[in-house]
Amino acid sequence: MPLVRSNSDKPGVDRAAGDPRAALLSGSPEQRWTAARRIAETQAGAPLLAEALGLEKDARVREAIFTGLASIATRESALAILPHLRSDDANLRTGALDALRMMPDAARPHLKGLLGDSDADVRLLACDLLRDQPAADATEMLIALLETESEPNVCAAAVDVLAEVGEASAVPALLHCADRFPSDPFLSFAIKQVIERLRPPASLARG
Amino acid sequence: MVFNEGKRYFVDRRVIDRMSATGSATFASYFARLRGDLQNEVEQFINAFTINETYFYREDQQLRCLTSDLLDERVRSKKRGQPIRIWSAPCSTGEEPFSIAIWILENWRQADAHDIEIVGSDIDTKVLEAAREGIFGKRALMRLTPVLIEKYFVAIDPERWRIVQSLRESILLTSVNLVEASQTRAHGKFDVIFCRNVLIYFDDASRRMAAENLYENLEPGGYICLGHTESMSRISPLFEVCRFADAIVYRKPLSDGHG
Repeated sequence: MPLVRSNSDKPGVDRAAGDPRAALLSGSPEQRWTAARRIAETQAGAPLLAEALGLEKDARVREAIFTGLASIATRESALAILPHLRSDDANLRTGALDALRMMPDAARPHLKGLLGDSDADVRLLACDLLRDQPAADATEMLIALLETESEPNVCAAAVDVLAEVGEASAVPALLHCADRFPSDPFLSFAIKQVIERLRPPASLARG
Repeated sequence: MVFNEGKRYFVDRRVIDRMSATGSATFASYFARLRGDLQNEVEQFINAFTINETYFYREDQQLRCLTSDLLDERVRSKKRGQPIRIWSAPCSTGEEPFSIAIWILENWRQADAHDIEIVGSDIDTKVLEAAREGIFGKRALMRLTPVLIEKYFVAIDPERWRIVQSLRESILLTSVNLVEASQTRAHGKFDVIFCRNVLIYFDDASRRMAAENLYENLEPGGYICLGHTESMSRISPLFEVCRFADAIVYRKPLSDGHG
């Protein structure tokens, strides 16, 4: 029978040999990918991964760095990802967003800052991150945003997230938001739909 | 693993089963036992939640693809004497790694010219014990012909068959958590990995970590087969999509450069 069973002498899985910093910053793509995974094994690796992320052009190595930072999942590793939410490179922006989604606890302290960012695109992406937060926290932050947000597209993103995770306490802020953008039929329609979803059924409200 | 609201009954049922098995009168007392990992309860708990329904020759279009295309492709880059390594993870109670073995022996014309190493791994230690026993019921064998059953199994009674000793002894069965790089690395590099119908139960973060671990476990140019409803393209950009006549599979790029 050609089937063999071997308990040893397995072809090894490559570990980054030598200095992982050098491999991460100046190795071949394969070496950089392997080094990123090795460096991500300890929390102390976050600053080095953050440095490499700013330089890395290879999408697959970037992905490993994002996954590494997300698995470290500290406030600092989240902080390293935040600048890339405002990147002009859509892949990098999406990678940053996905990585922050993977670390909801570590991302939480940064969310209020992101929701108040001067860049509307960042505020819009920040709304999406609230999907992974506890419903009460997400609702509270989105209520605050809806009260002051000047961009209807950002409000629409907030409304979309409320449809998924919102609580009934968001209804007054939603009504107020609709009043602030009377000429935006899409937003009014979306708000109406979400309010219907968030309001408890009349029978329950009475009972 | 992620269980949404629709799986509440499934989760409730298994927690109740574990409470009953451990004689825990309340959830609080069971939870304390679980957190303290008393008498290996964490492992028992994981075992209760893994889903192990499978049968021989499941999704056989990928097995056809294995012997029509993938193995021929892989042996071209092999040095003489280098074994072909195939990993079935998760392997559940053994139906998949034994299916791969039988399929290759029956359908790959080059089988006798190469050493082929098949490893089956699972996080659930109970199913690994069952796989080592190699005893299967009628339902697991429903897609095998009587000729194959006669050739590769020994009847124990009218309802149960045991896989022949030579086949049992030729497959290495190990424990692995696909999200833990230290565990996946210990298994070495493979030419083909079957990782079917498990990533769908992971959350996004675990799915990405598992995909990167599996990538690391593949030889350059090695293939990974997922379940027919799964798509690696939605999980990770690491792999190339390969469309063969019988199946769509994913491949670790051949070159050192990542694209």
